[in-house]
Amino acid sequence: MPFVNFATKEINCKIVYYGPGLSGKTTNIKWIYDHIKPENKGEMITLATETERTLFFDFVPIEVSNVKGFKVRFHLYTTPGQIIYQASRKLILKGVDGIVFVADSQEERHDANLDTLDDMIENLRDYDIDVSNIPLVFQYNKRDLPNVLSVDVLRRDLNRWSRPDFEAIATKGIGVLETFKEITRQVLKTLKRNT
Amino acid sequence: MLSLKPEEDRELRELLTKLAKDSKAKIIFFVDKAGQLISRSESPAFSSDDVTFASLTAGNVAASEALSKLLGESNLSHMFTETENEGIYMIVINGKYILVVIFDKRVSNLGIVRLKVKKYYAKILGIMERVERRIKEETMVSEAIDVDDIDLDSLFESGDS
Repeated sequence: MPFVNFATKEINCKIVYYGPGLSGKTTNIKWIYDHIKPENKGEMITLATETERTLFFDFVPIEVSNVKGFKVRFHLYTTPGQIIYQASRKLILKGVDGIVFVADSQEERHDANLDTLDDMIENLRDYDIDVSNIPLVFQYNKRDLPNVLSVDVLRRDLNRWSRPDFEAIATKGIGVLETFKEITRQVLKTLKRNT
Repeated sequence: MLSLKPEEDRELRELLTKLAKDSKAKIIFFVDKAGQLISRSESPAFSSDDVTFASLTAGNVAASEALSKLLGESNLSHMFTETENEGIYMIVINGKYILVVIFDKRVSNLGIVRLKVKKYYAKILGIMERVERRIKEETMVSEAIDVDDIDLDSLFESGDS
């Protein structure tokens, strides 16, 4: 749910990067954080284990203004991908305005993609959010690795709602920006429609 | 969608500032449970990344609430975190919002803070209930929101986009 302050002309929106463990969610928002101008970003927070696995969430605040002085703040969150953190994933979805589903393209990780998608749909349902009504983008990551599934298979199995989707190699920044721009575009469009 | 009109923003800010003064707190944040900063007291001496603080507060409260549910409690009402010099008191308001009071332990204490928060609780809740009623009744939401020419390319260092 976006929050609008008409006094300060600020709009806050929450975008969550969801996906199975080690699919590259943190790599995505870290890349965005590293390439955004310093004046447009706040502090990046990472709540991770000693082995750099996300324990609770990562958080990146981004600000952008238009000529009329309206400031939009995108709060980017990642979820912990590992199965044991199901409860934490649900907490992070609270108040979500848009979701990026980061899938691991490797064949051996496809079951994990499918399980995580089911987990996401169920968690959204608990917040009374219908997955077919929320801004959503799919990203098929790790395209540079051997043994990847074709985009057609990934699209057929995961992107059941025919949403925009992108191939990516997040470690090199390929596809990261396109994914981010698409989800923010959808979130802004929804904001406009609801006002 | 939650929104604050300029007069509501002013009213809330003034109330939080008064509470901060009364409780001798360094600063008071008012956050929603999704981690968005709604308002804060006027505390020019306090500098921190407010947005990040709000996000972590909501995460902290959400995790503690989930813990209390595991213990069979239906709701978490408030929690307290302590550093060497500072106390952070968080109270959930109406199940939707979080009031965060940060105070210097040499200047104030948890007892005073809780007492003063108790005194202001109904007033803060009153403002938010009024805001929620107004949002519900609004059929024509303000057209003042203008996000038309938001240029995402301008966010990135040249050469990246």
